[in-house]
Amino acid sequence: MNCDNGEKLILYAYGETDGVLRAAVEAHLGVCGACRAELAALKGAAAYLSAVPEVRPAVIEAIMRAARAAARADKGFVFTWREALLSGALASVLAGVFAFSARPAGTELAWNSGLDAGLDSVEYSVYQEQAELGSSSGDWDYKYSGLEDESLNVRENA
Amino acid sequence: MELTDDELAAAFRAGDAEALGLLMERHKAAVYGYLLRLTARQDAAEDIFQEVFLKLVRNPAAYGQREKFRSWLFTVARNAAMDYFRRQGARGEVPLDGQGDLPGPVDHAASPEPGPEAAAGNKELGEKIEAALGRLSREQREVFYLRHYSGLSFKDIAEMSGLPIGTVLARMSRAAAQLRKELEKDVQ
Repeated sequence: MNCDNGEKLILYAYGETDGVLRAAVEAHLGVCGACRAELAALKGAAAYLSAVPEVRPAVIEAIMRAARAAARADKGFVFTWREALLSGALASVLAGVFAFSARPAGTELAWNSGLDAGLDSVEYSVYQEQAELGSSSGDWDYKYSGLEDESLNVRENA
Repeated sequence: MELTDDELAAAFRAGDAEALGLLMERHKAAVYGYLLRLTARQDAAEDIFQEVFLKLVRNPAAYGQREKFRSWLFTVARNAAMDYFRRQGARGEVPLDGQGDLPGPVDHAASPEPGPEAAAGNKELGEKIEAALGRLSREQREVFYLRHYSGLSFKDIAEMSGLPIGTVLARMSRAAAQLRKELEKDVQ
């Protein structure tokens, strides 16, 4: 015997009915032997299928080996945000240590790079400018000393 | 608190290989059971099982969290099984007994070991159920096994299979009617 409740029965058998439909199917099951037998066959087949052999551990282990190898390979060039922050902080600390505790090496470095010679050159130029300025000042004094003398003569004659 | 599938998938994407182990532990029985049923071959089921999870290893972003992880997993498993059948040039048929030294569904249904009479009864019923499942059409079996092992709703299965939900339910309904005809006297 067939009835047209097949799809509703399927939804009921797999727990996909709402309260209204569930009540309607249960009422129908009370009067329909074919649907009761269909439900029993579905449950019997489901119980039989639920016995599943285990996956062999070697299969799982092969996948895990590949996963661990891939994770290690990724870590070679991909940083997580925590690792990026950590490496930035470490770089800052190292830069600080270098700046404050490695003076001799810094001086040596400046000497070798010609920086020291450049500084000497600048210092020499400043010295020259000072000397020239001193000379100009002397010229100025000499040039205007006559005016001072004249000014003194005017005051004395007055 | 137990991590969700999405949280484990995210942890794996971030480089935690052990998160994949937890995901596999959670889903291996369902996926392997489905593949073993569909292919009826232990070696094929194991190969496809590996292929499914290695897809995630090769590209951890393959699961984009647009759907449930289990739904994604069974979609990949189903597609891989279909590829296997295409490669084989024929659809797999469920055998009645184990193949050679490989355990078949009937062998497994008889365990764990009951008493001799119960074992004989279980084995007989198992063979009848096996035969009834074997006589379902290919489309009916696919939907039947997918629903049984994945636990996904018919709506999800319809989306995954690219079929209208009415078609999925109709196939299941015809499968149930067929099973009733075959097993009515044995399963009450």
